[in-house]
Amino acid sequence: MNSYYIINLLIYAAVDAMACLGLNQQFGIAGITNFGFIIFQAAGGYAAAILALPDQSANGAFQTYIGGWNLPFPIPWIGAAVVGGVIALPFTFLVGRRLRGDFAAVGLLVTAVLLNLLVQNYRPLLNGDAGLSLIPQPLQGVYNNQTSGYQWTLTAGAILVCGAVFWFVRRITASPYGRSLRAMRDNDAVADSLGKNLISLRAAMLVTGGAIAGLSGGILVSYITTWSPAAWGYAETVVLFAAVIIGGAGNHVGAVLGAILVPVGFEEVTRYIPTSNNLPPNLIPSLEWVAIGLLIVIFLWVRPQGILPERKRVIGIARAQSASARAAPAAAGPTPDGAASAPLVVAAPDAAAPAPPPVPVGRPRTPLAPGPSPVVLEAVNVSREFGGVRAVIDVSFGVRRGTLTGLIGPNGAGKSTLLAMLAGTLRVSSGHVYYQANDITGLPAYRRARLGLVRTFQLASEFKRLTVMENLLSAVPGNRGDSFRGALAGRRYWRGDESASIARAEALLERFGLDGLANSYAGDLSGGQRRLVEIMRALMAEPQVLLLDEPMAGVHPNLARRIGNELVALCAEGLTVLMVEHELAIMDEFCDPVVAMAEGAVLAEGTMAELRSRTEVVEAYLVG
Amino acid sequence: MTIFLASVGFGLVTASVLAVAAVGFTLQFGVTDVLNLAYGAVMIAGAFLAYVINQAGVNVWIGLVVAVVACSAGSVLLNSGVYSPFQRRGASPITMVIVSLGMTLIIEFGVQAIAGGTSVSYTLSEGPSVHAGGLVLTTVQLVVIGLSIVVMAGTHVLLRYTRLGKAMRATAANKSLARNCGIRTSRVITITWALTGALCGLAGVIFAIDAGSFDATATDLFLIMILAAVFLGGPGQAYGAMLGAVVIGLATEISAAYITPSYKYVVAFVVLLAMLGVRPAGLLGATP
Repeated sequence: MNSYYIINLLIYAAVDAMACLGLNQQFGIAGITNFGFIIFQAAGGYAAAILALPDQSANGAFQTYIGGWNLPFPIPWIGAAVVGGVIALPFTFLVGRRLRGDFAAVGLLVTAVLLNLLVQNYRPLLNGDAGLSLIPQPLQGVYNNQTSGYQWTLTAGAILVCGAVFWFVRRITASPYGRSLRAMRDNDAVADSLGKNLISLRAAMLVTGGAIAGLSGGILVSYITTWSPAAWGYAETVVLFAAVIIGGAGNHVGAVLGAILVPVGFEEVTRYIPTSNNLPPNLIPSLEWVAIGLLIVIFLWVRPQGILPERKRVIGIARAQSASARAAPAAAGPTPDGAASAPLVVAAPDAAAPAPPPVPVGRPRTPLAPGPSPVVLEAVNVSREFGGVRAVIDVSFGVRRGTLTGLIGPNGAGKSTLLAMLAGTLRVSSGHVYYQANDITGLPAYRRARLGLVRTFQLASEFKRLTVMENLLSAVPGNRGDSFRGALAGRRYWRGDESASIARAEALLERFGLDGLANSYAGDLSGGQRRLVEIMRALMAEPQVLLLDEPMAGVHPNLARRIGNELVALCAEGLTVLMVEHELAIMDEFCDPVVAMAEGAVLAEGTMAELRSRTEVVEAYLVG
Repeated sequence: MTIFLASVGFGLVTASVLAVAAVGFTLQFGVTDVLNLAYGAVMIAGAFLAYVINQAGVNVWIGLVVAVVACSAGSVLLNSGVYSPFQRRGASPITMVIVSLGMTLIIEFGVQAIAGGTSVSYTLSEGPSVHAGGLVLTTVQLVVIGLSIVVMAGTHVLLRYTRLGKAMRATAANKSLARNCGIRTSRVITITWALTGALCGLAGVIFAIDAGSFDATATDLFLIMILAAVFLGGPGQAYGAMLGAVVIGLATEISAAYITPSYKYVVAFVVLLAMLGVRPAGLLGATP
């Protein structure tokens, strides 16, 4: 009796904790607001049921269902996880790149409401509203499932699986891959521009979360032995959201804590409320839902980070300082002016460096005009319209390797739009973009970034809830741990790549004087410091061509000059930079050539001195 | 043929209810930038308020007027007490939609806690039936259609010909620019909550009249139809919502004549998902 109650509580705790870990992985880590999460638990429950149940005619024929394969344990549990994951995959089309997060959330919510309605009303598939019952428990024929020993073993099994799920999500999150997920959560457009494939990341997390939810449903079903639409109304997802938000989104222990506080706590609380009194039926359940709603709203207001906030991940410098081991960064050394002595960017190739990786797509193209250095990035007749407004009109120009090219023009000239089209953030309305003599017009931003064409943004775009160090590391391409499989392979597999990246990041931080802030959250920095983080992060992406959108805006003039000097030094090593900037002094000092735009078209190109002598440029921009 | 015509009749009534609800929802979202999932819950709260008044022996049309006023005031309070503070703090759209889902639970199940879980109906006379070109509609249904037409015409006049309507459109298009042009956007937003709240209350009562009987969770599924109509036309587009309401209203009711009625929401759902996946800006929205 008493032990039955404890078993009940423990199983529900394990199942809810698993579900919350899965939801936390999607919502807290990857930033996918899956309002249909309960669908996947439901799918797992049904999958486990029809795998374990005998044929419907052999089971008294009082319920109708498909399947009925009567398969032994652990196939129903495995099947539950597989079905939960597989069913999640098609939802990628909702949470993929283009759709606003809140719209996708609404789509998933509506799907949950409708699927519940359909399963309720369609009896042949899963016995409709009445649901499935008499579902065999694991190994029920082999052991006597009426004994408390059996039930305790089942409980232990559930807790064990829950522990395995905990280990699994921790391993993913602690890896460079987990860092990419969190970067996507904080700012998906920027993650895209740094080479993260958003669709693949989101699909992986949908499937991972779906499989975990499915497994939790399968375990629940094998304990309660029934499963019906009443168990998975859309509002059950809201309970899980409440648990994750209250426990602490992004924190795995928080997700478990939330599961124990909210779903389990509510089960327990209502058990002790007397039901037979004069209270109207439905009153207590209704008030429970009201309480869940209040908890969500109040917590989001009072403590949005939850009881256990996401843990800060301290990497590199702090540890190195405490151990007073500074061997790696010492090589770079504090060289205030002689930037050329210590290369900041490993990948920027000079003449002697190995050839850049071949560009896989597009037709080959020879540079148009022979000159001192070849054109690496070229726009040909590029246009962009926004609902009738022509922001960029038929622009053609090229950026030569090793130059620091400036792009000036009045507000609304189309500079940022042009930059976005070069980087792939925006699609061209017409025209072509060529990079290293290949047509990249159709390539998405993340593919261009992987080819070494990296941009920064005009507005602050740091990953707020990543530290400065993590911001820098998030951009490093080719880390062995930056894939689902690499993450699962564990720290030992990717530690080498990680240390190398950390050493590079530390050198860069020291160079820009931000090493003291390496383990501060980027969201807590000043505006100028954030600009620096962004530039450093772009350099960490090993660019060959760097597109900077007003990098000096809001930066102290001394620091701006220092950034300019660093960029010039990098260009001397083979990096190519195209920079939008309003500060003409910066252009005068560092940029050659400079391209002037106005009203969506290129007016002129040349040195600043040449531009100053052109009347149309002066009229459009330099005066007024 | 008679089944078809009868379902067209139902479809017209459903489309009328849906149009009022969808125009309110879409204006609310467009101007205030809150994807207010609690809209359906506010609707049903209004329907129950009218029911309480109706039970006291008062005509349901008077109950309707009270519900409209109460939902208008309630929506203004919902914004000033909950949504607006969150927005001022810079909450993301995702946080806003989670908050609105929390408010849905609070309002919907608050109503259920008070009203109980049973279905209720208004006491009202359906009036003599009217035959027109094969369609058979009751007087009440004609009144619902008439009310809806008046609301649509009113919305058109408001948006096209009044200063308030222009201010609303400007705020929807670009809030900070509108403020810089001297439009008092916070007042425009408050008025929008009042107006759309009124539409929400009206929609709630005529939804309840049309449905016959209703309980506290009755608008869960109707919200799918509202969202489908809104996204078909494009979120924030009042004329799109009208078009969407007619399409979704007719499509669901006509399909209900030929398939099991409980599946009629599938049409709305498929339209909604297709729009979200393929063209989230809607048929009348700008191309991305």
